[in-house]
Amino acid sequence: MKIVVLAKQVPEADKIAVDPETGTLIREGVASILNPYCEYALDQAVKLKNDYPELEIEVTAISMGPPQAKMVLLRCLELGADKAYLLSDRKFAGSDVWATSTALKEGVANLEPDFDLILTGKQAIDGDTAQVPAETAEQLGIPQITYGVDVKINNKRVEVKRETEKGYQILSAKMPALVTMSKGSNIRRIPSMRDVCIARDKPLETFSADDLNIDEEKIGLSASPTQVDKIFAPLSKTGGEIIDGSEAKVAAKKLFDYLKENKFLSV
Amino acid sequence: MLIVDIETCIGCKICEKVCPFGAIVVGPETKKAEVLDNCTLCGTCVNACPVDALSIERKAISEDEIALFKNVFIWGEWERKGEAIEIKNVALELLGKGKELANKLRESLAVILLGKDVKHLIPILFQHGADKVYLCEHELLEDYSTDGYTNVISSVIAAEKPSIVLYGATPNGRDLAPRIAARLALGLTADCTGLDINRSRQLVQTRPAFGGNIMASILSPYTRPQMSTVRPGVFSKPKPDATKTGIIEDVDVILEKISIRTKIIEEIISQDEGLDIEEANILVSAGRGIGSKENLQIIQEMAEVIDGTVSGSRALIDLGWLPHPQQVGQSGKTVSPTLYFALGISGAIQHLVGMTSADTVIAINKDPEAVIFDVADFGIVGDMLEIIPEFIKIVREEKEKSQSV
Amino acid sequence: MSENIIEAQKIETLPFEELKSVKGEMIISASYPSYLVDESKISGGHAEWLFFPNNEEEISSFVKKMKEEEQMITVSAARTGIVGSAVPFGGAVLSLERMDHVIGLGFDEEEERWFLRVEPAISLNEINDIVKLKKIEKEKSIPQDKNWVEKFETEPTYYYPVDPTEMTASIGGTIGANASGARSFKYGATRNWIKKLRVILGTGEVLSIPRGKYRAVDGKFIIQTAGEKYLIRIPTYMMPKAKNAAGIWAEPNMDLIDLFIGSEGIFGVITEADIWLKEYIAPMSNIVFFKDENDAIDFVEKLRSSESFKPEFIEFFDDKALTLLRNKQVEDPKFVNIPKIREDVLAAISFNLDYSEETLEKCFDEISDMLIECNSSLDDTWCAYEEREIARFKHFRHAVPEIVNNIIAERKKQFSEIHKLGTDMSVEDKYLKEMMNFYRTKLKEAGLEYVEWGHIGDNHVHVNILPRNMEDLKLGKELYKKFAKKAVEFGGSISAEHGIGKIKHEYLKIMYGEEGVQEMRIVKFAIDPDCVFNCGNIFGREMEQ
Repeated sequence: MKIVVLAKQVPEADKIAVDPETGTLIREGVASILNPYCEYALDQAVKLKNDYPELEIEVTAISMGPPQAKMVLLRCLELGADKAYLLSDRKFAGSDVWATSTALKEGVANLEPDFDLILTGKQAIDGDTAQVPAETAEQLGIPQITYGVDVKINNKRVEVKRETEKGYQILSAKMPALVTMSKGSNIRRIPSMRDVCIARDKPLETFSADDLNIDEEKIGLSASPTQVDKIFAPLSKTGGEIIDGSEAKVAAKKLFDYLKENKFLSV
Repeated sequence: MLIVDIETCIGCKICEKVCPFGAIVVGPETKKAEVLDNCTLCGTCVNACPVDALSIERKAISEDEIALFKNVFIWGEWERKGEAIEIKNVALELLGKGKELANKLRESLAVILLGKDVKHLIPILFQHGADKVYLCEHELLEDYSTDGYTNVISSVIAAEKPSIVLYGATPNGRDLAPRIAARLALGLTADCTGLDINRSRQLVQTRPAFGGNIMASILSPYTRPQMSTVRPGVFSKPKPDATKTGIIEDVDVILEKISIRTKIIEEIISQDEGLDIEEANILVSAGRGIGSKENLQIIQEMAEVIDGTVSGSRALIDLGWLPHPQQVGQSGKTVSPTLYFALGISGAIQHLVGMTSADTVIAINKDPEAVIFDVADFGIVGDMLEIIPEFIKIVREEKEKSQSV
Repeated sequence: MSENIIEAQKIETLPFEELKSVKGEMIISASYPSYLVDESKISGGHAEWLFFPNNEEEISSFVKKMKEEEQMITVSAARTGIVGSAVPFGGAVLSLERMDHVIGLGFDEEEERWFLRVEPAISLNEINDIVKLKKIEKEKSIPQDKNWVEKFETEPTYYYPVDPTEMTASIGGTIGANASGARSFKYGATRNWIKKLRVILGTGEVLSIPRGKYRAVDGKFIIQTAGEKYLIRIPTYMMPKAKNAAGIWAEPNMDLIDLFIGSEGIFGVITEADIWLKEYIAPMSNIVFFKDENDAIDFVEKLRSSESFKPEFIEFFDDKALTLLRNKQVEDPKFVNIPKIREDVLAAISFNLDYSEETLEKCFDEISDMLIECNSSLDDTWCAYEEREIARFKHFRHAVPEIVNNIIAERKKQFSEIHKLGTDMSVEDKYLKEMMNFYRTKLKEAGLEYVEWGHIGDNHVHVNILPRNMEDLKLGKELYKKFAKKAVEFGGSISAEHGIGKIKHEYLKIMYGEEGVQEMRIVKFAIDPDCVFNCGNIFGREMEQ
């Protein structure tokens, strides 16, 4: 059985800041990491591999990104992927959701055409659109299950426990299918020195748009239906009154008075 | 244009079965799929074809063609509350905003309503501003499914050519909208917090990017309809007008079981009724600063004395101390209560995006540098585990006093 | 050419009335209580004067005035020390907190090294923030006509490599303490990173001491002040062949600057320092696990004798420390990003290597062999090179002392007299195993609760005794003294990094004997005859009177 994990390189979220004067992003000193949700997807893939040894699961990580995105694929290899492909080309630059999913679809269809399951993060922590997975599934013409927290294989079907607004739902779909992961185990895995060593001997290849015979008109900025009109700094709410709470009783009374004054308390 | 790869087509007739418009047939002699003039390029057949013999080539449309796309559509999402089916708040919020956009364009506002028995929702939709409701009822639409809902909505859009379609950014909305966008090769902007019409009659979609650190305005100049998802609680619900009515259009839904490729095996409801944090007026939210699970008791008590609902930041949900429907933030819910307590929550941007639309924010945190204080209306630098019990005591004492008077 | 005579320079002074200061013991204890304590948490601090100078002129004026008033001065800045050096017992507090700026950046063309000139109260965090992100104004080149700052911008990332864990510490404080921390295993203590100092003496004059210019001749230095000549005889005791922060530095042909570094402020006030910077090489952080403590110690010995690489640090965790961490993982949400520590693991070693894709494999092969010989393997390890993961490992390492402090705080509620007994002792390399065995045997014999962790690369493991009652405390104190004697016997120090301050006087005697301490005292009175500065640090006050 073949599992493809779609992984994205993202800037480390809490480090991103905006220059208040120019409104541009300050990228200095911001490290790039494997999107945490994609890491859950990878973890799930590795877990399936261990849970169903009889299926002889092979895990392939695929990412679209700049050449440096190789590092996140290396991370995937350290965490248990068997091989990795990077789709990297200046022609991909400026892709929106649609153009990105086109490139990923072509990547998967060309490099791993007989896949059974695609696992990916529910969203990337930089763009947060949560749209690329569904659009990729649609372009590949396969069913999707989003917001997964646990995945099982049952015959030719994939069974997914997914988050809903009121709890969970268990859905199944015939494979090939695409599943997005919303959560993983809360204790993170860290690669061992052995994993780090082995990962560097696993196949990691880079492909350009031409390598995949992707029509230039279908990708990149010009193939993107959405366009960024302008970027601006958000209106920031300024903080209100801050009081010292070292004396719990005094602080509690002040809080009580504040709530009463603003009519949140009727007593 | 819908293209049939004659070499690959095996004449299985699945496309014929699934087409909502009867616009593709397998020729009796050729035994191959043939496309008729009434094809709307809704894409249903492309997905259904087992041998990938169908594809759609979409050309950029001209300005004249763009002008043919008219009216604002929203998806009328509903939810089950016990036995009852009720329209979701976000759908009403979309009606409010949709009306505003439709007025600016001097166009009308319509709802696409899918389900099995959902007619009773129609008056509410009219009262909140809908001019028209496309009623799509079908046995197979009883529960939400990506495939079923995508097929039906895509075909309505393909046939009716609206200029704008809006969806609530709920879990199902976020599952559905990109699927439709990809099927029709459209732009889609996620989680909009602002929508407006510019001088060129284009939809200006504003959304936070990079965790809310910057805002981006996005246009879809060359494709129609323009589509967005909108986070619940961002726009306000319009005041209902009990006298308002509208047109109901009964859509003839063609849907086959084979088109729906996912099966619901089980529903697990982990949320108590009345614990809906999206609807709550007062939320008492706890974060990492709570220290241990036992201390949740303090939060519960706090919620009780001020008639609030308990919610939490991601850490507590990850630890399994609170169920995920009670999570506030990027990977949880967006809430907009009138009063929000952030107790021991430092204010990671992922949390802030879920709660900044609260009217009043009270924060208690040991760390004076905690970001949460930047958005708090009233902040206390201190240990909530000491302050909250004192506060509970005061409220209880005051309550007793007022009762004894 | 170096010389042994240094001339003190006069500083323009200002009329004392123009300087702002706080006077009065009551006011200070009521409104400025934080200036009476530091991280040692020793109580009873009090002061009559409090002063916040902006520059050398103000310090000089204040020092003269206090000398007139016969008030001793306690120098203070970040107050992160843990031996009470910044806690005043009477007299004046000179808080340098306003002198926290970068003065300039220069390049030593002879040494081909970059250096930063800073005021004493700037924190290590701030220094690294400024240096790493190169936030230095153009006009701050040293000398001004060279545009070093512009050149620096095109250089790779630099930093100040001394990391004594508490990065909010001020540079002045770390110089006074000769602070070290984990990374000193590779880079040495603060001493190795100081290029030049300016120090104001009790006369109100200033010494400018560049490294390499003033060296002792016949075991002597001469300081020429306006009034008189100070003759300084360097103590004759032998310094331990291990990491050491106890007492003053002494070597026959020593550099004058080394007398001031680590002197705990007893000679004067540091007003300016030139510190060396180092190119930053991203590290690869590893934690390896063992089923036996002796295996871990064997591994340390192999690791530090490698010829192909030198770790930045080698840190040790005993089974008790690992248990504390395991327990913490299940209850503290802040630990969700750290994997579970296996139950059968009884010791762990953490070490950093320079990260390099080229040498990684060769390096890991070598480590693999070492691990196999020590009954572990590359599989029983965690490896991090991403910044966020390195930060997680750091959090992991620093969590143990934090947990221990919380346990003690909890016990204090029952027995207010209880405090933790944390050793800070080092020994010579060859005695590491013996010392570790000695700790373990004695602690077990005594039946005390304890945790061990720390800088094993430098044979400097912190043994922390956690008394459960007053009886334990008494037993623990006796044991502490035994450990100190053993450490000295094994060629080590009774205080490898914390210093002596106001709380470890008796151990200094164990290490250097009465005579050694007496020699130090002679140096103190030679340079600060009126005993103006930081009385009570290094020697008890009764000795000075």
